[in-house]
Amino acid sequence: MITFEHVSKVYPDGTHAVHDLTFDAPSGRLTVLVGPSGCGKTTSMRMINRLIDPTEGVVSLDGEDTRSVDAIDLRRKIGYVIQSAGLFPHRTVVDNVAALPRLLGAGKKEARADALALLEKVGLDERYALRYPYQLSGGQQQRVGVARALATDPPFLLMDEPFSAVDPVVRTQLQDSFLQLQRDIGKTIVMVTHDIDEALKLGDRVAVFREGGTLAQVATPAELLAHPADPFVADFVGASRGYRALGFVEATATVRLAEEVTVRVGARPADVGGADPSTGSGQRDGWSVVVDDDGAPLGWVDLKATGEVVEERHIDFSGTVARADGSLRDLLDAALSSPTGRGLVAGPDGRLRGSVVADEVLRHLGRGREAEVAS
Amino acid sequence: MIGDWFASNAARIGELTAWHAALSVIPTVLGLVIAVPLAWWASRSARIYPLVVGASGLLYTVPSIALFVLLPQVLGTKILDPLNVVVALTLYSVALLVRVVADGLASVPHDTVQAATAMGYRPWQRLLLVELPVAVPAIGGGLRVAVVSNVSIVTMAALLGIPQLGSLFTEGFSLRLTLPIVVGILLCLVLSVVLDVLVHAGTRALTPWQQKLETA
Repeated sequence: MITFEHVSKVYPDGTHAVHDLTFDAPSGRLTVLVGPSGCGKTTSMRMINRLIDPTEGVVSLDGEDTRSVDAIDLRRKIGYVIQSAGLFPHRTVVDNVAALPRLLGAGKKEARADALALLEKVGLDERYALRYPYQLSGGQQQRVGVARALATDPPFLLMDEPFSAVDPVVRTQLQDSFLQLQRDIGKTIVMVTHDIDEALKLGDRVAVFREGGTLAQVATPAELLAHPADPFVADFVGASRGYRALGFVEATATVRLAEEVTVRVGARPADVGGADPSTGSGQRDGWSVVVDDDGAPLGWVDLKATGEVVEERHIDFSGTVARADGSLRDLLDAALSSPTGRGLVAGPDGRLRGSVVADEVLRHLGRGREAEVAS
Repeated sequence: MIGDWFASNAARIGELTAWHAALSVIPTVLGLVIAVPLAWWASRSARIYPLVVGASGLLYTVPSIALFVLLPQVLGTKILDPLNVVVALTLYSVALLVRVVADGLASVPHDTVQAATAMGYRPWQRLLLVELPVAVPAIGGGLRVAVVSNVSIVTMAALLGIPQLGSLFTEGFSLRLTLPIVVGILLCLVLSVVLDVLVHAGTRALTPWQQKLETA
């Protein structure tokens, strides 16, 4: 656990970067520090590995005051990932990862073998191992940065805007694969970001900072969305927080799915079975779900509008596909984005399970609220 | 007549060239060794940088002939001792290289330095394992200038009678012969080019990680 107790940082010119900060980052969890620029979040993080020393107060790791240990020894048990990766340009990818183990006396062969295993773990193909950083994309460099930070298997990890220097698509990939990794390694992580969406997505706990280096609220993402402590937090968390809060409510088996008629590319509309009046769904309005050979949904097709044969160009891809074990937000989004108003839902195996309408999601949500009030 | 002169002087010309090369290269290497810690010190503080770089730059303005004459009194050496030349040229090399190395260290990406610090590199480990290797291209450029300038300054030592290619100039002057002078100039040029190419090749060999610029 990383603990801040009444920590302040005042610069010689009188600027208060951080003011009387008290909170903790629990072991094995990812705590995100988020806030507008100049709110002291980065300064706070850098006080953990003593890149910056606090003016007042105590920062401790598992109960040990960071000032009671040598700064170098302290840093060697805290992994560090920075925004632009900060790789060593003169070392190959594998040697970047092996650098710190080598510095601490590990043999070259062993350190490189470990580094290769780590690179695989962060999702970088082995063929990049002997390249130099300039030969990698930003996203790949960032993966190397994460692997390097984990090279000595430190119990703590600090991440300074680790995913903000890449484009949104790559960012989502990096975030997802990092979440996966963290489920595996369970490090005690403090991450700084200015992106509230990233904070809510990645954080087990989110600490919202406000200007002047004070803490506005520390809470789980769901709590932050449902019960912001004050107007500043409410405003910072953003306008569509009601909708986003749904992202933290898991869909359960009680959400009713309707059956859909499925067709494949190449099928003849005339051969597709007629509407099933008993379920009130299916082909009633002429829309059917196109699935691939594995039964995974591709999109919708209006059988009234196709010719003799269903072709790929007839498919409407606009709807998103929610996972049956996903969140209510995913289900609602699938329903809202669907050309039929019926959101496609797939099982964990990717096969179509059925469809869901927005009313069903909201009805389900209402029940969840009642349960919350009752408990 | 030209052939005669070469025949009777070939061995000596070879010897003079070897001396000249040694008197140019050794001070360059020593200069670099001295410049690195000075530059590191300078690069660590915005206040120290102008003092160190300014002071070392001033060294370069001292006329070489004055240094050659002064140094024996300071060092207690004989005036004909080649050590005087080595010390003088080392000073010039330091003068040139402190700025080059300091700017080279400053050119290392801030993120790289910060990452090394945060990973737990001690300052000297960071210098030797990260900052200097990354600064090699910048330092290599400065070394080329330093070694070529030394090849030129060494000739001044001929006035003291220390053997090197400059001796051909004084000889040609006193014998009123053009040939030794021309040969001396040509050999200095060749030596400059060879040393320059060697330093350049060495820099390239040390930096396989640099993005190669495509030359069509």
